[in-house]
Amino acid sequence: MREPELRQLAKPDRDTVEVMRLKLIIVAAIIAVICNVDIADASTTPQVADSISILPPRIISLKDTPNDAGTSIDIEWELSPTESLIPGMIIEYQVLRAPSPDSTFEQVGSVPAGTSTYTDEGTIPNKPYWYRVAAVGREQQVVSEMAGPGHSVMQWFDRRRIGVAIFVALTCTLVMVFIEVAKRKGKMFLRRLPVFDAIDEAIGRATEMGRKVLYIMGQMDVDDPQTVASMSILARVAERTADYGTRLDIPCVWPMAMSMARETVKESYLRVGKPDEFNANDIYYMTSDQFGYVAGVDGIMMRDRPAANFYLGSFFAESLIFAETGYTTGAIQIAGTAEVDQLPFFVVACDYTLIGEELYAAGASLSGDPIQIGSIRGQDVAKAIFFVYIVAGVVLKLFGINWLETLLKID
Amino acid sequence: MGVVERLSRLDRRYIFLAVAIAVTLPIFFPIGLPIEVTAPVKQLYDVIEDLPERAVVLISIDYDPSGAPELQPATLAILRHCFKRNLRVLVLGMWAPGVPLGMKALEEIAENEFHRQYGIDYVNFGYRPGGAIFLINLGRDVHDVCRTDVYGTPVEDLPMMDDVHSASDIALVISMSMGVPGSDQWIWYYHARYRGKLATAQTAIGAPRYYPYLQTGQLIGLIGGMKGAAEYERLVQTRGLATIGMDSQSAAHMLIIGFVILGNFIFWMQKRKR
Amino acid sequence: MRLQIPLTIILVMGIFTLVTSFIPAKPIADVNQMFRNWYIGIITFFIFLGTFNLARSNAEKIKKQGRDWQYSIILLAFLGIMLFFGFYRGRASTEEGQPFMYLYFNVQFPLESTMYSLLAFFVTSASFRAFRARNKEALCLLLAAVVIMLGRVPVGTAIWKGFPTVTEWIMNYPNAAAKRGIRLGIDLGLISMALRMILGIERSYMQ
Repeated sequence: MREPELRQLAKPDRDTVEVMRLKLIIVAAIIAVICNVDIADASTTPQVADSISILPPRIISLKDTPNDAGTSIDIEWELSPTESLIPGMIIEYQVLRAPSPDSTFEQVGSVPAGTSTYTDEGTIPNKPYWYRVAAVGREQQVVSEMAGPGHSVMQWFDRRRIGVAIFVALTCTLVMVFIEVAKRKGKMFLRRLPVFDAIDEAIGRATEMGRKVLYIMGQMDVDDPQTVASMSILARVAERTADYGTRLDIPCVWPMAMSMARETVKESYLRVGKPDEFNANDIYYMTSDQFGYVAGVDGIMMRDRPAANFYLGSFFAESLIFAETGYTTGAIQIAGTAEVDQLPFFVVACDYTLIGEELYAAGASLSGDPIQIGSIRGQDVAKAIFFVYIVAGVVLKLFGINWLETLLKID
Repeated sequence: MGVVERLSRLDRRYIFLAVAIAVTLPIFFPIGLPIEVTAPVKQLYDVIEDLPERAVVLISIDYDPSGAPELQPATLAILRHCFKRNLRVLVLGMWAPGVPLGMKALEEIAENEFHRQYGIDYVNFGYRPGGAIFLINLGRDVHDVCRTDVYGTPVEDLPMMDDVHSASDIALVISMSMGVPGSDQWIWYYHARYRGKLATAQTAIGAPRYYPYLQTGQLIGLIGGMKGAAEYERLVQTRGLATIGMDSQSAAHMLIIGFVILGNFIFWMQKRKR
Repeated sequence: MRLQIPLTIILVMGIFTLVTSFIPAKPIADVNQMFRNWYIGIITFFIFLGTFNLARSNAEKIKKQGRDWQYSIILLAFLGIMLFFGFYRGRASTEEGQPFMYLYFNVQFPLESTMYSLLAFFVTSASFRAFRARNKEALCLLLAAVVIMLGRVPVGTAIWKGFPTVTEWIMNYPNAAAKRGIRLGIDLGLISMALRMILGIERSYMQ
């Protein structure tokens, strides 16, 4: 991998600039006296400002933009001295590019006055480019000296994400190690959450009362991990409803989630040997509109009075509306979400709530599969390591040592 | 049955009635209490104040009519500020039902109030599907993911877009958001890759989760609910719907506090009795 | 084979997506881009599938005259009306004054706002019923909630000028710290679950 290039460009004669700056001040002062205006007001009188020549900006560096596909170059320049002398005279800077020093320079972008950097994002990797920067006033523009060649270079690793890479690699390794351990050992202890027993209890109650079970997968589609987590719990819930012969009603927000839910429930009914009792019409698309869906589900709760309501997935403002409506119908309510803001509402209005990561672990835990439980153990060990890391980072920071803090920092 | 017992079994329809009265009365009999501006709102205001003229501000309408009472006033106030500062505005949204809300806001502020020119001072790309994936692509190449505007005009025919190609050409992004896809996606997929200035306006219920991002600098400003919008209205010196709604919100909050105290009094009395 | 092919696709795509999120190089980024475009195409197709499913299930309900079948007529009627007015003048249908926009602002807008506003009523009733100072921790939460409620409205400032400052402090420190803690746990859970899926350990949705 090639290191990003930095090309320090030949500096123009400093004396020349100083002389020009002095001349400009004198000219500006004379014009100000003649026109009876204050220098500070020059910005509001373009006819005065435009009678003065703009000093050119100076390109300082052309650098390959780091951590990209090699399709951009960072250009940095020194602002035209005119900006500080007569504020408002320069409107913008235009960045001009050419494939060779002799070619015509074409504008690739512009930035407002006061800006001294621009990223040219239309470059081809390893191809040389030459640049000029034009300071543009209301009626005139002046172009900088040519700079170049600059190259953009393709990178194979985004160094800004090294912290994320370490974090992910460590967690993945631990999870996989404990999956292996579980494969060999066969069984691992995992604290049983009270909510797991409540699932059986809720479905049993619905069966006794001859009412249905309502299962809500949240507001998101299958690209949301919470929906996927909900799907794995649904598989266990569907096994129980199939076993007890209880109707399972699943109104869906997204068509793709509906298809996936159908497959999940169908598979569960197959597992318990009751494929004929599976009814695809009980898993249906309602609407993707958030509050249209709320109205629909509330209607089901009030009309059909399901005996058990499951709210597992990604929930937003509708969480309390569901939970309070369910409360009034007297249903046993089991909720779970990783949306932290909605947790208080579920905790207040539902009988059991899966908090945050418990939602992701519940499916695995309910399955009783030692390999899945092993993955949760790996995740717990990772959590312990990060906890120690955070505490150590805080303590070291208190003593003015920052390296642990910056080790996993993004960018 | 004693008073305490009766209160503990209070029919919730009485509570609903009390809320309805508390919210409605101040609309007819306004009190006009002064609104204090909080730091997260002021920060966004200051950033917009400091942007150079003609800089591009992207406003993402990530809400639907249900969130409009809280978020539309903030959208109007921000648009007003942007056009007052002679900034260019690019509007799009990841929620299809939010498109008409964006159109209405632009019509009210850009067209009627500031008489700005479509295509030069502002553009509207309407609904953009794809959520996170759309944002990743947007930062890389705006023209690629926004080929036509909400009226079907090709992006090449919109002069404002001539120098707006990628994230580096957008000075500030403000996500007006009430859920997903929304501010989370802007932070995780857009800001994480392309950096730049990002702010959000949230419904009151969603605002608390964005404070950590404010601390880390991933967000440069936060407008929380109708109160935040009222603060922004105060900063841009207009009396909009959020300011008008503040009295109702004050009354509703006081009522909730009253009910919490009453609930605890009942709880305490029952405990004592036991 | 029915199980192995999808599992292989998940494994390959999962590892590819994970690894390539750290690789900015153009050929890889382009392939990633292609997959993203496919995804957008697929979800767009599913919207039609959903609408079709909705129409079919409600039409069946009307045909069989199942329970509350009258509601299905209303649903299908409005689905048809909105579709018709949304399409009949092409893009111009969404211009000001068009029937689609009239229905949007005068039917959909107030209906959705009404549903959302139910929260105000439910928050009050839930607070009355469940927000009890049962122990010291609950008392702390209750006091914090009261301070935040006062700090968020002008009446709080009228009572005491310090409420907004205390509110901001609660939001910036105890609130942010708790949220970060829960978030960290959630993200670790997420990685673990993603690995279970990529490795084909969790496949309850497959036949």
